[in-house]
Amino acid sequence: MRKASMYAALVLLAAVSVVPFLWMLATSFKHGQDIYSKVPSLLPLDRKTGEWAATLGNYDYVLGVGGLGGAFVNSVWVCAVLVPAKLLIDALAAYAFARIPFPGRDRLFVIMLGGMMVPAITLLVPRIHVTQSLGMFDTGWGLIVPNIASVLDIFLMRQFFLSLPAELEEAALIDGAGRMRIFWTIVLPLSKPVLAVVTITSFLFHWNDLVWPLLVTNDPELYTLPLALQQLVASPDGGRAYYIMAGATLAVLPVIAVLLVFQRRILAGIAFTGLKG
Amino acid sequence: MAAPALADERVAAGPGGRARRGPGRRRDHLVGALLVAPALVYFLVFLLYPALSALYYSFTDWNLRSDANWVGLANYADLLFDDVKYPHFWTSVRVTLQYTLIAVPLTLVAALAQALLLNAIRRGANLFRLLLFLPVVTAEAAVGAIWRWLYDPQYGLINTLLGLVGIPGQNWLNTPELVIPALAFIAAWQCGISMIIYLAGLKGIPGTIQEAAVIDGAGPWQRFWRVTFPMLRPTTFYLLVTGVIAALQVFGLVYVIFSGNGRSVTGGPEQSGLTYVLHLYLFAFRYDAMGAACAMSFILLVFIVIVTALQFRFVRQEAS
Amino acid sequence: MGRGLVRGAVVATLATALAACGGSGGGGGGQGDAKQLTFWMYQDRTPQAGQVIEKVRQDFEQANPGVTVKIVKIPKDDYNTKLGSAVAGKSTPDAGILDQPLVSKYALDGTIKEVPAGLIDEADYYKGALDTNRAGGKLYGLPQDQTTVALFYNKKLVPAPPKTWDDLKRISAQVHAADANVAGMNVPKGDGYGAWMFPGVVHGAGGEMVDDAGKKVLFDQQPAVEALQLWVDLQQSSPRKITDSDKPFENGLAAMTISGPWDVPTIREQFPDLDFGVAPLPYKSEPAGNIGGEDSVVFSASPNADLAWKWLAFLAGAEHNGAVADAFGGFPVHLKARVVAGGPEQAAFLDQLKVAHARPAVPQWIQVNDEIIAPAIESALTGKATAQQALSDAAGRTRSLLGWNG
Repeated sequence: MRKASMYAALVLLAAVSVVPFLWMLATSFKHGQDIYSKVPSLLPLDRKTGEWAATLGNYDYVLGVGGLGGAFVNSVWVCAVLVPAKLLIDALAAYAFARIPFPGRDRLFVIMLGGMMVPAITLLVPRIHVTQSLGMFDTGWGLIVPNIASVLDIFLMRQFFLSLPAELEEAALIDGAGRMRIFWTIVLPLSKPVLAVVTITSFLFHWNDLVWPLLVTNDPELYTLPLALQQLVASPDGGRAYYIMAGATLAVLPVIAVLLVFQRRILAGIAFTGLKG
Repeated sequence: MAAPALADERVAAGPGGRARRGPGRRRDHLVGALLVAPALVYFLVFLLYPALSALYYSFTDWNLRSDANWVGLANYADLLFDDVKYPHFWTSVRVTLQYTLIAVPLTLVAALAQALLLNAIRRGANLFRLLLFLPVVTAEAAVGAIWRWLYDPQYGLINTLLGLVGIPGQNWLNTPELVIPALAFIAAWQCGISMIIYLAGLKGIPGTIQEAAVIDGAGPWQRFWRVTFPMLRPTTFYLLVTGVIAALQVFGLVYVIFSGNGRSVTGGPEQSGLTYVLHLYLFAFRYDAMGAACAMSFILLVFIVIVTALQFRFVRQEAS
Repeated sequence: MGRGLVRGAVVATLATALAACGGSGGGGGGQGDAKQLTFWMYQDRTPQAGQVIEKVRQDFEQANPGVTVKIVKIPKDDYNTKLGSAVAGKSTPDAGILDQPLVSKYALDGTIKEVPAGLIDEADYYKGALDTNRAGGKLYGLPQDQTTVALFYNKKLVPAPPKTWDDLKRISAQVHAADANVAGMNVPKGDGYGAWMFPGVVHGAGGEMVDDAGKKVLFDQQPAVEALQLWVDLQQSSPRKITDSDKPFENGLAAMTISGPWDVPTIREQFPDLDFGVAPLPYKSEPAGNIGGEDSVVFSASPNADLAWKWLAFLAGAEHNGAVADAFGGFPVHLKARVVAGGPEQAAFLDQLKVAHARPAVPQWIQVNDEIIAPAIESALTGKATAQQALSDAAGRTRSLLGWNG
């Protein structure tokens, strides 16, 4: 009985989560005026006759005129380079902050943590200056390098590394293994949960980030998915829901696919982070 | 955030903490410095320098184009006290506080409820976890567009559903009193990350404690309040602090919701959706006052630091 | 250990070090090949408009061998943000569209160039449109189109369009009385867009928003108060719960709305069943409306300024301006350019244009519009203040902000 009510509650919550997606999916297959039906429909139906009326025309439009195809490729590239590079830089720093003493280490760590509190919007325009003087404004590197490390991720990973049992590493040190060997062969394999968290959160963030690419790219050939989506949303005819939803569906499908395939590793991994504040 | 990191006694106890001697130690210094170097370069170039230069601009009248002229504290004084130059500054503060006070608790409650339910079942847990996580994966531009439609007073799904249970439909995004709750609901809808972190916290509670409570005859409600919730306090605290910091900076969602349709973004009906960062953005890029916008961002920074420190002082004390 | 260290640190530093390599290709804005021009404009209103611009681009390249024009199209909502960050990033395009109120600002701080002598004959252009490009008496840009807004009405619900404010109120009330689910008029709101529409209504009562030359704020006087009262009255037969839905006029839920020529093709394409007409804006004492349109400028950082001016003059010249202006959603600015023949609604827009007034040429006008006038309109529309109270308060604020006495 108690189980039944729990499942009922979960079904209800899951419905709240999923219905907006079903609406998005249905709308992406609708013909123009069918989105204006008095009773909103979660299926692509004709608004007058109520009969099935689905079209692939919206996808055709957003991939062609809408430029989503190219943007898709760009987003994949940016994430494929940025996410692993960021993971590596952050993990190395986090490991040093957790385990390898050097003069001024802890003071440096606190200073860097302070940087976490600076509102992102504060940094936008000066970052554009920096990006410009490095010659990366309006280039692919401009989308990647200014985002290539994250203090929050370093913080999370350091906390995790600290929570690992030190005995293994100490034994390896005594056996004469170098710090890097220990990092690659002992620490990283034990850290899959936190690596999963950081990977998925930074992938989601950069896959969906609108503001930085908006400011740092001029050339439409560099546009990422959120920028191409924004072109549909802010289009001069007030935005057409069926195009926007076709674009949104295309943007979200790969993420869902990744989640489905890696759901064990990613979501379950997150659940075992041992994140205790 | 700094306090728990520093207070962590394991820093000293870890293998790195115990300093090696002789050449090993010197090599450690080198290796440590080299490993931190890329992140440090990034920090200096893309965080510290931009922050300092924004601080400098906050004392100028810079407009993105011409040379910046030093104006001292004028931007700060005008923002706080001159309601002719900045008639909606305090409105934006109020809107943001309201949003934070509603959205953060709502998100935490939703996340905790989902996590508790997921933790209590076996069959189908993976599927439900995935479904509940879905809202997080959507791009902000799309989230705004989807919800603008769900909230539509004529064609929106929400009014239709409310109609089924006899509640009259509302003009959600165009009624000042409803704007913030409507935005907060979207935030709670996207609580997946918090849910997963709560789930992690729940898994970390040793089963023996729960069993002991059962033997003591505690019902599920008592067990939650006496065992589960106290054990989750560190997690709640972490989510509260990071959630407040994020809520005080909410921007993308309101920007997308209130732009488009040919309307310029003025923050919704009667500025009821004019959040602090949206207001800042308008001055930076629309009203040609980057200097003032930088000053706003440092006022926000100071506010965030104060709020975070207060949480560490009071909430944390209560938690322990 | 050495090898592991090298592997880690080298790979990690790689991305940061790439900064240096990234430099070679950067810059944008026509660096390198001297014959490439970059031109920024708003996103196309329709695919057809995009084809027109593409055709003109090809014509220009044919007439100027070796030159390529790269056109970048940006949503209007994001345009000024992107331009601002390009200026900050020292990567402006060679030329681009610029919002009318921004021309004088950009001119004053040297971000854009002055029109070179002899580029055009000023007598060939509509004076009103050309004057929106002036700052301190000098010309800093070329207009590309001029446009205005008029009254769109649903012929099924409104057989004959209203001419006066009284007609408008009466018809709106009749429509709503006949069907409570239909609003009489999609009344503008107290947002940036509504405040942008408002001056045209004020002129219809014989009023002005401001007197630029005399530095006087006039929108707390009778004509503006009456104009705002008109909107307040219209709302009684136009509930917001109806008009706040997506595209109420197009869906037949609002019998009338105010919009511009750019909306005609998009409505026809998306809502082919809608039978609508366009009439000049109803007025109280004299026919009047707003004038708007797009200006185009050359940025000071452009290495190809001469070529950029040539391109802008090509767009604004007698031969192409008709088609270009139509693609921008307006009418030609060149006196000899041919107006692209449109539907029956075109006459209404052209009539309206004859009596249209320019918006105030005050550099801070965008801020006044968004932050002062829009909230004042909203407070009257929601009944929190009377029209007179709202506008008096707003006028006082505007005077303080601009430092004007009158």
